Amino acid sequence: MAVIQVNNLSKSYEFYRREEGVLGSVKSFFFRKKQYAQAVKSISFSVEEGELVGFLGPNGAGKTTTLKMLSGILYPMSGTVQVLGFTPWRREKEYQKQFALVTGQKNQLLRDLPAMESFILNKEIYGISDTEFHATIDELVELLGVRDVLDIQVRKLSLGQRMKCELIAALLHKPKVLLLDEPTIGLDVVAQKNIRDFLKKYNKEKKTTIVLTSHYMEDIKELCSRVVIINMGSIIYDGALDALVKKYDPYKVLTVTFNNSGVARAAVEKFGTVTEYDPYRCVIKVPRSEARQRAAALLSSDLPVDDILIDEVAIDDVIREIFNQR
Amino acid sequence: MQEHFAFSQLFYYDTSMRKYTAIAKAQVQRGLTYRFTIFMYRVGELAEMVVLIMMWTAIYGDQSVIKGFTLNEMVTYILAGGFVHALVRNFLADVIATDIKDGNLSLFLVKPMGYLEYIFSREVGRMSVPTAFSALSLVVVALLFWDSIIFSDDVMILALFFAMIALAFVIELLLSFLVGLIAFWTDEVNGLHLTIERLKKFLSGGYFPLSLLPVWFVNVSLLFPFAYSFYVPAQLYLGKMDATTGLHGILVQIIWIVLLYGIIQFVWRRGLRKYEGVGI
Repeated sequence: MAVIQVNNLSKSYEFYRREEGVLGSVKSFFFRKKQYAQAVKSISFSVEEGELVGFLGPNGAGKTTTLKMLSGILYPMSGTVQVLGFTPWRREKEYQKQFALVTGQKNQLLRDLPAMESFILNKEIYGISDTEFHATIDELVELLGVRDVLDIQVRKLSLGQRMKCELIAALLHKPKVLLLDEPTIGLDVVAQKNIRDFLKKYNKEKKTTIVLTSHYMEDIKELCSRVVIINMGSIIYDGALDALVKKYDPYKVLTVTFNNSGVARAAVEKFGTVTEYDPYRCVIKVPRSEARQRAAALLSSDLPVDDILIDEVAIDDVIREIFNQR
Repeated sequence: MQEHFAFSQLFYYDTSMRKYTAIAKAQVQRGLTYRFTIFMYRVGELAEMVVLIMMWTAIYGDQSVIKGFTLNEMVTYILAGGFVHALVRNFLADVIATDIKDGNLSLFLVKPMGYLEYIFSREVGRMSVPTAFSALSLVVVALLFWDSIIFSDDVMILALFFAMIALAFVIELLLSFLVGLIAFWTDEVNGLHLTIERLKKFLSGGYFPLSLLPVWFVNVSLLFPFAYSFYVPAQLYLGKMDATTGLHGILVQIIWIVLLYGIIQFVWRRGLRKYEGVGI
């Protein structure tokens, strides 16, 4: 049975428009027009136990709204959600003890106290035994390499250290489902990688089901075998990351280098769409099915070809393309 | 069914006290981190008490009694009332409103813990440090006006006095909670909060004993919970109210607690439907 099952889930937010300037403000003080923005439009998906699924989409796509409904913070307008057999927004204790939400934007750690105090608080809230608590802390602290910062006020920690402590706080009760909302936002490259490596390992070892959202392609590429792409409230792709490239991009890229005196732009243009041009190095987009023939044609032409690389279009470009199309 | 669970998020019944003591302890530690702020707050309080006492001393001049109060009684009223006030007041409305506005509430909604019980434990912990300071600073003022203070040794009255303080603490907490919850509908509650605070200070007898006002006014104010956070306990202490009136007051307090809790439940349930958990 699927750990997470979402069917036809929709959610709208209320908001008001306000005309600019003081007069507009005065006007809207008396008359406000209520409007609705549909954040999530009838989405359905399911996640199996132990899967690590990435939600990808631009700002305002509906990723976070979906996570909020999965964690029971928001009531949906319509549709159903079952996580571990529970309906999240009923906020049953039994459910809450089995999942965790970590967000890069909002921290659960008490800022004015060392992280250890927040851990102890969670220990009591989730009813974790002493032995279990110490064993889990030891393990996580080791994995994340934060042993020497646990007794420092949280607000004095670096963003990376804080995020690692956030993860520890969320994992103390060994959740079966872990929801991560942009866990690497604002972190430097090294810290991002640390967190990614940790999540990968944790997911593998504990078989925890993980759903994460991110704007960072790196996160998704590294971690998720499956990606759900959301744009403007709808799911536009759900499947393996490499299959996405084949499905959405009918092109391959030839990177050709030339020697001697190089080539003129017009000479290479007949082989495909030139996306980058330099007399000694050209990038040419060609139809996927004809990539081999075109490369062969280039080699056998009288152009001074030194080398040819055949590549997939970069995934970032594919996704940018998908978002632009909508 | 759904409604039922939304409500239980306000208060989870839990047999284990450890959760609450852990929350309270964390706040005690937080309080100790902010020794300086807390100390400066006390300085302000002290100054206010001293000013009030000096003002009344000047008003009395050669008069020995004003509206049934001797100067010593007035000084004791200010000190005893100030003591009660320091114990029962809180700054929670803003805390709660901010939690809602900034979406911090989300972090509580996903945990197996009620928000009200969190706030309650948190407040007990938070107030402990300032209370210790308050007690100390009160001793300082008491030493200054030692000769003017009336001491009570009536056990029954003292028991009522402290019971009333405990209930007043709960009432003040529920009131602030309720005011804070308004943030579900409007983005800021400061204006309302300040207005209520001023009204409360007046109705509680914090500016001057309510008995200086017409009898009907006093009687009406006894039906509201505010007078029990300052005026009534102080009067009890002074022996200007008897045990029966005190018991009657405690009954009024209990009715208010039930009433406020009911309203909070209703508002909480409605509010959560509006809640958008912004910021995550």
